[in-house]
Amino acid sequence: MDYYKGDIFYIEQILAGKSNAFSYIVDRHKNKAYNLAFRICGNHEEAEEIAQDSFLKAYRSLKNFKMKSSFATWLYRIVYNNAISHIRIKKKGVLSLEDFPADATDFIGSNTTEDEAEKEYRSSLVNFALQKINEEERGLISLYYYEEMSTDEISDVTGISKSNIKVKLFRARQKMQEIIEKVEKKKLIYHELPGKI
Amino acid sequence: MNYQEKYNDDILRQYINPERIEKAPEGFTSKVMTRIQIEKVPLRAADMSQKKNLVPVISTAVIILLLAAAFFIPGKEVDPLVHPVATFFNNIKVSLPEFNLSSIVRLNLPSVIRYVFIGTVILTLFDRALYGIFHREK
Repeated sequence: MDYYKGDIFYIEQILAGKSNAFSYIVDRHKNKAYNLAFRICGNHEEAEEIAQDSFLKAYRSLKNFKMKSSFATWLYRIVYNNAISHIRIKKKGVLSLEDFPADATDFIGSNTTEDEAEKEYRSSLVNFALQKINEEERGLISLYYYEEMSTDEISDVTGISKSNIKVKLFRARQKMQEIIEKVEKKKLIYHELPGKI
Repeated sequence: MNYQEKYNDDILRQYINPERIEKAPEGFTSKVMTRIQIEKVPLRAADMSQKKNLVPVISTAVIILLLAAAFFIPGKEVDPLVHPVATFFNNIKVSLPEFNLSSIVRLNLPSVIRYVFIGTVILTLFDRALYGIFHREK
């Protein structure tokens, strides 16, 4: 089968009984599904579990998929809902600012440059801030900034109205910005400590 | 976006790199496919619910047809549909106590009622038959 054929082609193959065609669908969407699950739950093992379950759910419900809409949006909806309900079941303890390393040098590995370490630090800081906001806000931030979806598309995935998404995104941004600023302030204080270069 | 939103948005964009996505671990696709094979995940029959939705639609159509028949088929002195049934019941003289059905037959009910009664009996049988079909499919 041609990898570059559209999702609809493979879905029709699956519905005709060729279940192996589903592997093309999984291959095509696995990274985005996994990424969304990871941004919401913040843990690699759980993200894999959520993404796998979502693909299984999608496979089971393939007959209900209306071919008129985008398969990716439909799949995102499943991943988003799965991740949110997963988080609600396994309510985690609240992270404290002390849980985040104060210095980018903590991210320097044997083969990493300072620049790479800084990027790693920023990425980890965003993930940390994401874990400090609630699961719904996390999902919205992920869809908006990582998947670069419009508020219309986010509304299709989450079922939340466009105006409500704007309000929730505003609050989420504000919370994340405050967390980032606090951590950065802590980093400055850390560097001003006597004995630190 | 107002000033505050723009400010927050800019700060976040300094930290968020959309190109940096977390990739699914090695063997992810094969794990999903294995789970599908092991669990023998059936494709959920969407048409099953659609079939179920057909039952009230068909029932309504049958009732409408019966009602239309009652209105549009001209009444005759000897109703070809009701008369044999009424005669049959009137002739039942087994060990059951005899009911004076002639009074019922003589009742001057509008023909609609008779059609509705017969329709209800037919629909009951129809419902049982459909139930049997869907019960087997489960």
